[in-house]
Amino acid sequence: MSRAKPDVGREGLDRFVDSAPQPQRSGMRLLIALERRPRGRRVLARAHAIDQLATGLVAMGRYEDPANAVPLGWDADAVAARGRALRREEGRL
Amino acid sequence: MTGRRRRAGVGRIIEADVCVIGAGAGGAVAAAELAEGGASVVVLEQGPRHDADRFSARPLDMLARLYRDGGQTTTLGTPPILLPLGRGLGGTTLVNSGTCFRTPPAVLERWRREFGLEPLTADALDPCFARVEAALSISEVTPELAGGNAAVARRGAEALGWSHGYLRRNARGCVGSGVCAFGCPTSAKQHVGITYVPRAEAAGAQVIAGADVRHVLVERGAARGVEARLFDGGHLEVRAPTVVVAAGTIHTPLLLARSGLGRASGQLGRNLALHPATGAFALMDELVDMANGVPQSFYVDEFASEGIMFEGVAGPPSYVAMSLPLNGRRHEAAMAEYRRLAMFGLMVSDGSRGSVRALAGRPVIRYELIEEDVARFRKGLARMEELFRAAGAREVYLPLPHGVAPERARARDLKLMAFHPLGTARADARPAHGVVDEHLQLHGVRGVHVADGSVVPSALGVNPQLTIMALATRLAFGLLGRVVPPPTDRSDRAPERVA
Repeated sequence: MSRAKPDVGREGLDRFVDSAPQPQRSGMRLLIALERRPRGRRVLARAHAIDQLATGLVAMGRYEDPANAVPLGWDADAVAARGRALRREEGRL
Repeated sequence: MTGRRRRAGVGRIIEADVCVIGAGAGGAVAAAELAEGGASVVVLEQGPRHDADRFSARPLDMLARLYRDGGQTTTLGTPPILLPLGRGLGGTTLVNSGTCFRTPPAVLERWRREFGLEPLTADALDPCFARVEAALSISEVTPELAGGNAAVARRGAEALGWSHGYLRRNARGCVGSGVCAFGCPTSAKQHVGITYVPRAEAAGAQVIAGADVRHVLVERGAARGVEARLFDGGHLEVRAPTVVVAAGTIHTPLLLARSGLGRASGQLGRNLALHPATGAFALMDELVDMANGVPQSFYVDEFASEGIMFEGVAGPPSYVAMSLPLNGRRHEAAMAEYRRLAMFGLMVSDGSRGSVRALAGRPVIRYELIEEDVARFRKGLARMEELFRAAGAREVYLPLPHGVAPERARARDLKLMAFHPLGTARADARPAHGVVDEHLQLHGVRGVHVADGSVVPSALGVNPQLTIMALATRLAFGLLGRVVPPPTDRSDRAPERVA
């Protein structure tokens, strides 16, 4: 079982957003900022498709965090560790 | 020497028989076959060499590392379509689902009829496919490895009597890690970065990662080499009488255009087909645990003749969180039931065509979905709901705005992604209609060839990696002046495992 790393999701989301080209990068930063504030969420609720995108973006970060993913049956660290062990054992690249 | 060469300044110079640009599905295959055939080969890859030890099985983390622009390349048009592209040794084969189909015979017949590609018959390509299939250890996914997500789709298809089956993939020793698209942590997926690239290197090819090719050099109608900028800021010139351009469907036309090549027909950068796709979810009574197993392991081809193909798709919670077509509390409630969610994909063999051109050095991709393709999505989404209901779904979440039924969906209502860009330097035997000829050589230029998805002149209706690899194999042996031999025996394969 992975130990919870509270910043993994947020850091992952930041890296993901940083890797996007403009203008998506600025657009996503704005959506995330709105989604994280009650008043921002009320603004987003007026535009369904954009609201869905904002929900998805923030949730993507939330569920990247082992504290939220492991209870749903997904332990990324264990999957990666099993992969490394198998590659070593069988001499894979 | 060209003016561009002088501006670039003098840097390192390498001489070779062949310079291959790009180490993805086309470039890596061509490079390995050429090098093993005795040619001196230099491969220039813009992206990095990835280390599987750093594959974290975390989608967000891996999107930023393995994909061009973090996987957020997007088309302009209605609707905008996300077009994720892999970056690095292996290209998009590093991050695709591994599904392998030969080019459908009907498609090859269309190529003969419409594009004059007479030599590209099923019989002529058979040895090329056989060679690639052996090299990549292609085999059908077992039901055990396919997992619970495929079992849901299978149950629905069987109840409805729809044609279906398990997919063939390039994997060996797979344990169903569930993250093919985010870097296979076991290296079971036989992407070209761990198959053909090492073969090329073992045969003496120089593979240089972090090399951004700026121009293909041509003198008096014949290839002379390429010039590239290196990751460390240096310049490199490869002098070679044969250049194989395999920078991918989006970037190959940009490279050719800035080199002043391939524009005579007016087709360069046009005819972009994408296979637009979308995914739907179902809430089941049973535990599905969609990420335990091969994400793309099962297909339903009942409507393939109408250009509609269903293929499996699945992922860890963070991937599903982004893809779920819900918001607010409904999103939270569905995510709380992640373990009971099933997901399946719908791909359309598109009649729509887009284009790519450069703006300030970056690709601008335009693509408008035509009404016929919107109609395919309407029908496909309705059938997808039927499939899930027949499998016993409690709820179905279609990728449409709340309250919009599939039959009333408009282009702007669709939430699409695409994974198979094709056609922007299309092959056509006639110089006035295509960028390359039936031997994948640029019309009117000796020694410059193209070996990636850009030469594929029409949508295939199936995943294209095998088609691209087979065409690259044919090109390599054509350049060597040899008949394509039977597959090399690579009998060191590991057995399939069940997680």
